Amino acid sequence: MFFEQITGNLIQGLVLGSVYGMATMGLSLIFGVLKIVNVGHGAFIMVGAFITLWLFNTLGLSPILAIPAAFAVGMLLGLLFYYTTMRRLIKAPELASLLATFSIGILLEEVIKLIFGSEFRGYNWAVGKLNLGVTVLPMSKLYACIGSAIIALLLYIWFNKTRAGTAMRSVVEDSEGARVCGVNVDGTYAMSFAIGIGLTVVSGVLLTMFIPVGINPYMGGGYTLKAFVIAVLGGLASPYGAFFGGLVFGLIENGSYMLFALIPGVEPFALTRFLSFVILLIILLIRPTGLLSTK
Amino acid sequence: MKKNSLTIILSCVAVFCFCFLSNSFAAKKKIVIGHPACLSGKYAKAGEQAVGGIKACIDWVNTNYGGVTLDGKKVPLEYKYYDCESKKESVTSLLGRLITVDKVNVVFAPYSSGLTLRGAPVSESNRMLYMDHGGANNKIFTQGFRYVVQTIGPATAYHEGTLNMIHMTDPEAKRVALAYEDSEFAKMVMEGAETHAKKLGFEIVFKRTYPKGVTDLTPLLSALKASKPDFILGGGHFEDGQLFNRQMADLDINSNALSLIAAATLPAFYEALTSMAEGVMGPSHWEYGVKYSKSEAKKVGMEWIGPGQDEFVALFKKAVGKDTIPDYHAAEAGAQVLAYVLAVEKANSFDTDTVRKALGDLTFMSFYGGWDIDDSGLQVGHSMVDVQWQDGKRIIVWPREARTGKLVYPIPTFAEKAKGKIATP
Repeated sequence: MFFEQITGNLIQGLVLGSVYGMATMGLSLIFGVLKIVNVGHGAFIMVGAFITLWLFNTLGLSPILAIPAAFAVGMLLGLLFYYTTMRRLIKAPELASLLATFSIGILLEEVIKLIFGSEFRGYNWAVGKLNLGVTVLPMSKLYACIGSAIIALLLYIWFNKTRAGTAMRSVVEDSEGARVCGVNVDGTYAMSFAIGIGLTVVSGVLLTMFIPVGINPYMGGGYTLKAFVIAVLGGLASPYGAFFGGLVFGLIENGSYMLFALIPGVEPFALTRFLSFVILLIILLIRPTGLLSTK
Repeated sequence: MKKNSLTIILSCVAVFCFCFLSNSFAAKKKIVIGHPACLSGKYAKAGEQAVGGIKACIDWVNTNYGGVTLDGKKVPLEYKYYDCESKKESVTSLLGRLITVDKVNVVFAPYSSGLTLRGAPVSESNRMLYMDHGGANNKIFTQGFRYVVQTIGPATAYHEGTLNMIHMTDPEAKRVALAYEDSEFAKMVMEGAETHAKKLGFEIVFKRTYPKGVTDLTPLLSALKASKPDFILGGGHFEDGQLFNRQMADLDINSNALSLIAAATLPAFYEALTSMAEGVMGPSHWEYGVKYSKSEAKKVGMEWIGPGQDEFVALFKKAVGKDTIPDYHAAEAGAQVLAYVLAVEKANSFDTDTVRKALGDLTFMSFYGGWDIDDSGLQVGHSMVDVQWQDGKRIIVWPREARTGKLVYPIPTFAEKAKGKIATP
């Protein structure tokens, strides 16, 4: 029974972890290129969740079709906020960009609240279940997991095999050197911020495929916190490191529950969170650039 | 020079006296209710309902009732509220502002036990009456606060009715699983449910809490499934209740009955979960359809005040500007206005201590049901009902004398619900 449960939990954790990883890639990309910590990260996830909800409930569109729509909206939002706000803050003290992204997050929450209201919403996308014996996996979760893996792979290819990706990496290495070599640094910053936000909004779609309830304007806060832990776990400036960090985080969160449940008199769920942050602290102490960082 | 100084001092004294006296006179022209309301943040949904309910009942008092009778004159109510963003730190600062700057006559607590508890010391230190409409935790009333008065029922009683109902419906059911949010309120509900379940002879086969703001309950629900309960009681607030039901469906966890506090009684619960919510129950302080009326009050020898049920619904719709039926968060907040009005009238004063004493002696009925408090301020006169989702409608199934339909037990499995089976008796 114990073996069955822990195996089931680990499978669920792996699937959830892939979505957590995806939800952190945007944060890592923006930090890696622009050195900006997006404190409003969760609000962009929330925007993705509302896009899915709206497309599903009003137009009857599958959440899979919401992925390109969310990416387009995210890119546009990214470009908008970059050219109106973030561009001026790249060389400013870190506190300025922290406050700016925090404000953007609040702005988005309140705008969405104004449009959709503050109710907790959800949708019901019934696409069947996969019975694995040790656990039952809804197909929507599986699609979210596969979607996350494909997007992570595409980002990896884009980063390593395209000119734009190479330009982006050169800006990460040395922005002045890249400028001397003819790279449009400002354009690269804008593109990075837009892609980072696009990925984050898409992760909102994938998260609702995993958990299609509790969609509300303030849902992003918890994900922001988790994203920071995962980003550190995977290497703060490494988007695909963040993906693997997400997998590890999902496994820790789900797997440790069963182990903590063996200790009499403790609430295992409370300890799984505790463990996540203990791991974060240990990593920061022994490897401040992140567990999977190459630096 | 001396003459000038004297003139200035006298002018200042005159201005001060004028301000003081005009304030005193102005205070008698209206009674101001202050409220740090949860209009945004995690309790925004319940907070909006509460504000709507308060506005509806103030409207009734000022328009239909003619105002609060004080010294033979009718005094209108005024409502001053700020958004506390569902944050503890905002509650304390806004309460301070309402009491010291806005000089309100009474403060209404924000929604939830945690926020109510956080604000209580502020009102106590200012000797201000603190009316609790959304904090059900019994612990609020064990701290020795003198001015906290509850309208919502105590948390320990939330699942007592559900347990009684299952005990009477299915004497074979023995194994109960308890899974609640790790919040002050929900843990108190769990404590009450555990005590009552044991008293009725049920076996607690699973008892766990989950953290606030949880986004995945899979590990807990997998363990719950393995305990093979006959029925499940749990929940905490709206968002985790939705998640609880949804992930039970995902993991194919079936039981004879499922009752979730705070979430299952709200329309948005069914809107989000559709068929998955069929048969799910929840305890409620008030539901549209309950049979409390002036004649009912007369029958049981209680004083009646306030609008009738339909009148309250109409006033609520006007207050929120939406064609929506209020839920119990609105009703309990509205009933609190009526309790305060009656107490002020009986005390013939709005002095805090005098009104508090009058509230202690007060027993009445309104559209919300009975109202009576014990010495600590805990609500003891109000009974809860249990509602169940049947074919997309909320049906009152318990207690028997208040029910609008029969209980569906056992409820359909999630596989049956996915194929379109609805919960009908």
